[in-house]
Amino acid sequence: MSEAAAPDIFDAARREFDRAMQRNLKGLGYFASPGPALGASPKDVLIQRGTMSLYHYHPMSDEVYRVPILLVMATTNRGYIFDMVPGQSLVEYLLKSGFDVFMLDWNPPRSDERGLALKDYVLDFLPAAVERVQRETGENDVTVVGYCFGGVLSLLWAALEGAPVLKNLVCFTTPVDFSKMEMFQTWADKRFFDVDRLVDTFGNCPGDYLYTAFDMLRPGARVAGNIRLLDNLWNDEFVKSFRMFDRWASDVLPLAGEYFRETTRKLMWDNQLLHGTMDVAGRPVDLAKITAPFLHVTAEHDHIVPSAASAPLIDMIGATDKQQVTMKGGHVSLIAGGNAIKRLWPTLVEWLGERST
Amino acid sequence: MAVPPIPDPGAMLRDMLGQWESMANNFGGEVMKSGEFGRALQGANAAAMRAQAATHQMMDRALAAANMPSRSEVEDISARLARIEEAVQRIEGLLMAQAGIAPPERPRPKRTRTPPGKAA
Repeated sequence: MSEAAAPDIFDAARREFDRAMQRNLKGLGYFASPGPALGASPKDVLIQRGTMSLYHYHPMSDEVYRVPILLVMATTNRGYIFDMVPGQSLVEYLLKSGFDVFMLDWNPPRSDERGLALKDYVLDFLPAAVERVQRETGENDVTVVGYCFGGVLSLLWAALEGAPVLKNLVCFTTPVDFSKMEMFQTWADKRFFDVDRLVDTFGNCPGDYLYTAFDMLRPGARVAGNIRLLDNLWNDEFVKSFRMFDRWASDVLPLAGEYFRETTRKLMWDNQLLHGTMDVAGRPVDLAKITAPFLHVTAEHDHIVPSAASAPLIDMIGATDKQQVTMKGGHVSLIAGGNAIKRLWPTLVEWLGERST
Repeated sequence: MAVPPIPDPGAMLRDMLGQWESMANNFGGEVMKSGEFGRALQGANAAAMRAQAATHQMMDRALAAANMPSRSEVEDISARLARIEEAVQRIEGLLMAQAGIAPPERPRPKRTRTPPGKAA
């Protein structure tokens, strides 16, 4: 038996030695080389207006579904999470599956955009994007897909103005019960958190401030992640994936001051969306008015939007064709990376395909 | 008699790292949910904001005394330039449309696709 075990020891020792060598060699390369180019799928910029950008991705098939898709990114992060690198891009996957894809993405708000409020996002940016998608495609109907707070903006728009044009609404991990976002509740505890002071001091809410808030949701993750990177420096695929996600996660955008003040007060403090008291520019929001087919996808291990925060949404929507799907994964791995390629992307394409003709 | 597999120290360390991360996240999470933490955190944030506001004020005064623009003034100019650029782009687009100069036509795929199961 000892004869059988011997090769294991040598194999293991050789493997570890090889990996140690590779770590040394590739470790130097890691610091000397730039990360992979992200968000590089060919596209046209249709609108570039301050904090708002609208992209149209070049179709990858000769025949597309009639209804175009508008992806709406969360205002805290960059939209390239939907378009990492070829083979790991939701945008590319949708294009190859025969969809015409647009994305509403965000730039850091300028200092003179500190006065932008929720109404600007819901009643100006989103309608402008939808109107341009209609003009570009010649179609009246549009499918809107919102991620995280992009989902919240999509819900607000859909309830207030979506009815004539909204063909389908898809939300990824979208919170409606903000009292269940416990860590953010602590962060924004109204007894201690002076949102007015923050906005009045900085104008816009700094990205660093939000980055720290996200980082503190998982205090051990950064240290453990860096140790894992060191351990896996020999593995090109691991390093590539680490660099992509690390860059995206640290690329947190500032938020327009008034928008941050308003969302903190109305959602984090007063939980108005859940209580049915939410308004945008004085117009009451009733999610029951959303009657277009609706899909909500949540993640089992979401540390940013826990299930309890997103679960009530499905019952608040007025559509009869509606579905809630919970998948394995976390807030980010739900929509990007190997987990998403296997789970979310095919589900999304199948669900949308049946409703996009 | 079966020989037990040789323990892999690398795998053990990786497993320990996973456990430590999980513990750190849980423990840190519990600490951060407490009111005391929230009070301390926001106290520190408020102090940092006061310090930053005071620094800005001081810098603005010093720069004004040296007859130089402050950072916020430069940012304002930059924002105004960006707005002007956007306006020029819009005007350019309108003028091109009026003059009948269309942007290069991209191939427009047919919008007749059906889901695989329903294909004719």
